[in-house]
Order: sequence, then structure tokens, then C-alpha cells
Amino acid sequence: MTLSSSPSQTGLIGRSASALRPITRSFSRRRRKDVIAAYLFLAPGFALFALVILYPITRAFQISLYHWAIAPGTPSEFIGFGNYSKALHDPIFWRGLVNSGFYMAVTVPAQIVIGLAIAVLLDAHMPARTLFRTLFYLPVVTSWVVVSLLFRYLFITDGGLFNWFLHDATHVTGHNIDWLGQRWTAMVAISILGVWKGVGWSMIIFLAALQGVPRELKEAAAVDGAKAWARFRAVSLPAIRPVVAFVTILLVMGGFNVFISVYLMTQGGPQNETQVLLTWMYLQAFSFLDFGYGSAISFMLTLIVFALSIVQLRLFRRPSEAV
Amino acid sequence: MRLSRMLVLLVLTAIVAVTAATAGARVSGAKKTTTITFWNAYSSDGPEVKRLDKVIIPQFEKTHPGIVVKDVPVPYDSLHQKLVTGVAGGQLPDLVRSDIIWVPELANLGVLEPLDKSLPDFKALSSTVFPGPLATNFWKGHYYGLPLDTNTRTWNYSTTALASAGLSGPPKTFAELKADAATAKAKGLYLYAESGLSCWNVCPWIWSAGGSITNSTYTKASGFLNGPKSVAGIQMLVDLYKAGLMPNIILGGTGGLGTYDGITQGKYVSTLDGPWMFAILGGSVKLAGTTIPAGAGGSVSVVGGEDIVMTKSSKNKAAAAEFTRFMLHPWAQNQMARAGQMTVLKSLTKQLVKIHPYYSIYLKQIANARPRTPTPKWPQIDQVFQTELPKAFKGDETVQQALDSAAKQIDALL
Repeated sequence: MTLSSSPSQTGLIGRSASALRPITRSFSRRRRKDVIAAYLFLAPGFALFALVILYPITRAFQISLYHWAIAPGTPSEFIGFGNYSKALHDPIFWRGLVNSGFYMAVTVPAQIVIGLAIAVLLDAHMPARTLFRTLFYLPVVTSWVVVSLLFRYLFITDGGLFNWFLHDATHVTGHNIDWLGQRWTAMVAISILGVWKGVGWSMIIFLAALQGVPRELKEAAAVDGAKAWARFRAVSLPAIRPVVAFVTILLVMGGFNVFISVYLMTQGGPQNETQVLLTWMYLQAFSFLDFGYGSAISFMLTLIVFALSIVQLRLFRRPSEAV
Repeated sequence: MRLSRMLVLLVLTAIVAVTAATAGARVSGAKKTTTITFWNAYSSDGPEVKRLDKVIIPQFEKTHPGIVVKDVPVPYDSLHQKLVTGVAGGQLPDLVRSDIIWVPELANLGVLEPLDKSLPDFKALSSTVFPGPLATNFWKGHYYGLPLDTNTRTWNYSTTALASAGLSGPPKTFAELKADAATAKAKGLYLYAESGLSCWNVCPWIWSAGGSITNSTYTKASGFLNGPKSVAGIQMLVDLYKAGLMPNIILGGTGGLGTYDGITQGKYVSTLDGPWMFAILGGSVKLAGTTIPAGAGGSVSVVGGEDIVMTKSSKNKAAAAEFTRFMLHPWAQNQMARAGQMTVLKSLTKQLVKIHPYYSIYLKQIANARPRTPTPKWPQIDQVFQTELPKAFKGDETVQQALDSAAKQIDALL
């Protein structure tokens, strides 16, 4: 794997071509073997990737071009990009896109900032550090279904914990808020669940990255008189920059793919006000049996997430990596 | 050492061979069993699943040796998705207890067996059931199932909450409903709570006001759903809501106090619901039922219920047909009636009241109940109700405007 053509060329300067030939042939044979071995190692992973990612995407694209008949053996009508045109003229598709974008815009920065803050605190020497790490990570391993239903009860208009606190206990609000009955309050409630559930994940990744920052660098900065904030900003943060990029990209993908919490807390209602792209896609496919339109929505979502990921990769690229 | 190992190996091989041979002989000697799979959404909150698993199926298997029934209870909200997935994957069960509103959709997909063609005794079986529930199995010239249970919605109320509201009895007319709702509100209670704006929720009010959803051939909604009488039915609900006499759960938001919780907690007096409500809440609340308050069109409710349908892909159609017949047998229907399932057999109506007194009001109401539009596009039509009607309740549009828009959209779907 480490062999390349350049050392073979430089190391054999001065020999005749006929003397070089058997050695070169031997190298190229070994190189071919290495390449074959590499592909063989890659094959199982790629086969799995093709099976669970590439094939469904290709199939979804194919279905999206048809008025798809779900019963096997029934002919489907080819309508070209008709389902895509339908989506572009569907106000609820656009509302779903805005709602998905809102969820992503609220939850991603919150999870990064809070997760990083907790990671910094837990990176310091403190008593019961392991206990706190476990506690902050606990929401990540709980079931989405369970916590979504739990949050639905927390946000109930009459008798919910949030309204009890805001209205009955602290009198911040003059009346009980119908959290899940209006678009933006419902989206806020769903976003709060997203942040609460996801912050432990970003925390654990940031914590691992922070623990990998060389201690000597921090000590050198301290010797130079840098205070804690300056050490974090000038030493730790640049050191964990690739991890911040990794977390951001994955969170953006996850944010746009929000489904379970919306489906269980509001079911996209009332009146489709809280539909996100995936709940709208689900409704089209499984309630209205319009799999062609549902596939078009999911394929468009894939393109959006793909484009966003490329933009982020470029944004997070170090200046030295830029071509 | 090597010899003794070989001996042990030989003995072990012999034991395995003899055991396998005798087991095989036992299997080939036993009678071949046929397993049929039955998907249903019987409620596990009440006694339905227990009655099916512990009483009905064991009795069937006892009287039909060689047939095993695999019961697959699925929550109602998931059953439609499971059916759709089953259709797409070609993995449907032998029998399904389908909501009556799904039968045209499944029949239209071509996955159901037309029972009037494949059951030689279909005529005899169908003659024993009520014609209304039987009609829900009809699609494009064929019957694709048989009714299994029927139901409708009646005005169910907590007698304790009614007294707390300062009322002597349930409202009998639209006018009484408006007046009583104000009386109850003055005592801090909601007289009537409704959990959404689908047709199941609001069609009884449209029909009771004298309105209709479509023409009689189910091909046009304009001129019917947005006619003056239909508008009057919805207007009454909008007036109640805007006057603060109904809780906001009617808008379909999930954050409000549900009807069952509200009635259990004594905050709501009444709701419209099926007979299962008595089976589920009867132990904790003193419930009574009556017919829906009457408007200009009388007291008209909505028909609900389930049909038993056989899939085309079933490999055990004879056994599935036997179980279908068994489920329509008076004994099985009687057993399920005890678990809150209203029978579809004409011969059992008198016995129903003896099983549970509350059935009397359902029998009275179902005589004046109408089905929802039988069409494969029903889920989309119901979505139109839930999208357009809230605009009238929120004051964004008048009732007339909201129903005009709904009718136009439903026309396109029909």
C-alpha cells in the first residue's frame, strides 16, 4: 500500500532499461496485488452502502418519476418530473421546508454551543465527573417515542408542566399557552425536545476532542499569560475545528431529517401547520398511497441535505486546504 | 485414545439419527395443520384482544382441528400503514379486520378477494347481517368482505359531571345544546368536547342539521357540503367554539385535554363516541348515553365499524373462509358484544340489550346513521375537512367560505 512509482524511479537512476524491466515488473505486480487487496477490503462495506443507501436512493428517484401503483404487478404511469412540479406548487411542501429549516436553525447552534460548554466544564477536574457525563448523555440513549410522548404531556395546555411553571408558579404568562395548537409555539416545543435529546451526543464528541488537545499547548499559552477564555479560543477551539465541522454537518443532516418528534407531538397539525418535509412525505405515501409524490419529496430532501453538506465542507476547510 | 473418541462419536451420531427418525415419524404421523394469520386492531385497552385470544380463537381451533389462527393485533393508528407496507411488499395476511373506510381503497388496489364470488354461501351469510354495514364492503360490482362489527356515535355523558353543571338531563335539540353549554360553562365545565374536525367528528352535525356531504351517487360535493343546511350544522359548532363553550381540542391540536381524560377528571360533561367508550371508561366514570341532539334534519350519526376481508394472496383461503364464517356465528358475535363490539347480526339485536343496557341507545341511533363516502380517496377527503374547517373556527374565513373551498377540493377527488 505504501509503494508508489516515485521511489522506484528515483532509486534506480543510472541503471540500464533492460536491468530495470524485471524490477519494475515485480513492483507493478506487487502494486496490482495491493490495489486488488484494497478493493477486496472495501468491497463488503461498499456492498452494504450500495444496498442500504445507493439502491434506495436510485429506487426512490425511479418511483418519483411515476404515478406509482403500490400493488406488485400493477402498471405505473410514467409522469416524468410531474411529482417534482407538484411539490414546487404545493404550499405545504414549502411550509414543511421552512419548518424543517427552522428546526435545524434552532437545534444545531443550540446543540453545538451547549454541548461544547458542557464538554469544557466536564473536561476540567471536578468531583463526580463521570456521573455528570452519564447524566448529560442519558437523554441520547432514551427512546425518541417515549420522550416525544413525555414532552407532549409537558406541553399540554391545561395541566402541562411548562404552563404550570409559566402561568401558575411564576405568573410570567397571563394565561395557559396552547403550545401544540399553534405553528411557532409547537415548533419551539419540538425544538426544545431536539436540543434536550441531542445535546449529550455533541457533548460527548466535543469532550473526546478536547481531551486530545495537547496539554503542553495550553500550558505554554498559560505561561504566556493567556486567561482561560483566551486559552480556549486560541488553543482548544482551533485544535478541535475538524470535530466541530463533523458535529455541525451531522447535526444539520439530522435537523432536516426530523420526523419522530413531530409525528408524535403534533402529527404535523393542527391544519398541517407543523408539517416538516418527512411528515408530509409520510402522509403522502402511507395515508394517501401517493408513493410517487412521497418519493419526490424525499429525493428533494436528499438533494437539499447533500448540497448543504458540500457547502459546509467548503466552509470548514482550513485556508491551507483550499485549492 | 483415538479409538475411544471414534466410538463416542459413533454412539452420538447414532443417537442423533434415531432421535431425528422418530421425530420425523411423529411429524409425518400427525395431522397437517394450516395456520391463518389475522391482522386486526382490536383494542388492548378494553377486553377485546383478551376475548379474541382467550375465548374466540381457542373455541375455533377446538371445533376446527387442523387450523391454527395467528392473531396479530396492531394499534389502530398503525394498521393502515402496516397494510400499505404489506401490499407493497406482497406480504399480506390471510384475513384482515379492516376499518370500513379502508375497504374501497384495498379493493381498488386489487388485493382483496371478492367474497361474493369465492364464498359459495355468501348469500346466506350476507342475509344474516344488517344491510348498512354490508354495503360498506361493496366496491365496483362486488362485495369484498363481510361486516364484523358495527357502531355509531351517540351523545355519551358523565352523569356526575352533568349534575355538577347544574343540568337535569342531556340536550335533545341544537337549541338546548347551546343553552345547556352556556349553563355548564357558568359552572366551569364544558358541556361538549370534540376531539377534531374529521368527518367522523363533524358529519353527525351536518347531517343532523339536514345537510349532506355529497350527492347520492358520491360524485359531487359542491352544492351539498356547502349547501345552507350543511353550513348551519358547522355554524352551530363554530358559534359554540367562538363563545368559549367548547374546548380547543376540536381544532385537532394535540396539546389539549383529551375527551376521555376531560370526562374522567370531571372537566367535560359529554362527547360523541362509540360503545367501546363504556367498556373503557365504564369502570371509572358513571356514564350514560342518548341520541345526538336533533337539528332540522333530526338526530343523525355516522356509521363506523369493521369488516372482515380476505386477501387475494392468501394461500389458505378455505381455512380463512371457515374463520370468517365462525366470526359471523351468533356465538362469536355474542362473545365479542360482551367485549364492547356491537353485533352485525340482525338476529342478535334483542340479546344485545341484555348483554349491555347501553347498546339500546346505539341500536336506536344506528337506525339513523349514515356512512362516510365510500371511495378509495377517502383519506384525502378527510384531510380536506381537517384543513379547511379550522379556518372557520379560527375566524380566518366564514363557514360558507371554508365549506365552498372544501367542496371544490372534494369534487376534484371524487
